[in-house]
Amino acid sequence: MTQLDAQTWLAEHGDYLFRVARRQLHADELAEDAVQETLLAALTARDRYTGNASPRTWLTGILKHKIVDLIRRQVREVELPRDQDGEEAVDLLFKQDGHWAEPLRPWGNPHAEAELSQLRRVLDECADRLKPVMAQVFSLREVAGMETEEICKELDITPTNCWVLLHRARLFMRQCLELNGFNRAGAV
Amino acid sequence: MKWMPTCRETTELASRAMDARLPFADRMALRLHLAICKNCAQFNLQLQEMRRLFRVETGDSDDAAALAPDARQRIATELQKRLAP
Repeated sequence: MTQLDAQTWLAEHGDYLFRVARRQLHADELAEDAVQETLLAALTARDRYTGNASPRTWLTGILKHKIVDLIRRQVREVELPRDQDGEEAVDLLFKQDGHWAEPLRPWGNPHAEAELSQLRRVLDECADRLKPVMAQVFSLREVAGMETEEICKELDITPTNCWVLLHRARLFMRQCLELNGFNRAGAV
Repeated sequence: MKWMPTCRETTELASRAMDARLPFADRMALRLHLAICKNCAQFNLQLQEMRRLFRVETGDSDDAAALAPDARQRIATELQKRLAP
């Protein structure tokens, strides 16, 4: 029976779990690893599944921990350089006196159904262009909705590092979205 | 922080305000700057817009991404191994 369960989970929820993981890890192979580790962990822990939540919800809960584990491992590998991670790129956005180098224009309102898939593509592309660590901290905050304290603790980075990464990630995402057409009213 | 932050400093405050409650002095400095600077006011709006878009966008949408067949096969094999050692 359990064998059936595990393969059924893969068949029914595999793609969903993959999408959730991919959105936060920004790499297909990592997302595949996360799905595999989730299902293996679910298999080990299946006695603890009470059936109170739907299998998908239960699996997604396990997946979130696996995603954080994977990101933590990556962050350790990368070793955050405190000052150099994108600082020069930030310098380009501002004049020496701290004013914006270019004026900011209002965005359109890209919300029509037809535009959503294109919007998704642009968001993904822009996130892919961030440095991996930056993209991950940004995703944990903006996509997964984790609190920054939790992110710092999970990833074992200082709060200052976390603020700096988020600030830079937001500056770059904003700029990238704009370059991809967000500044034309109503268009994505 | 000086009585009036620069645009660059204001973007730091605005970013941080998305994640936590700022200390009183910073909050006032941010408000003051946003009141008189169109660019930073725009930036602040766009931070909120980005959050809205990312959150909206994460539901299980019609996103076409799916597990690649070979990855699916690999995972199925791993599960099998675990089940029948």
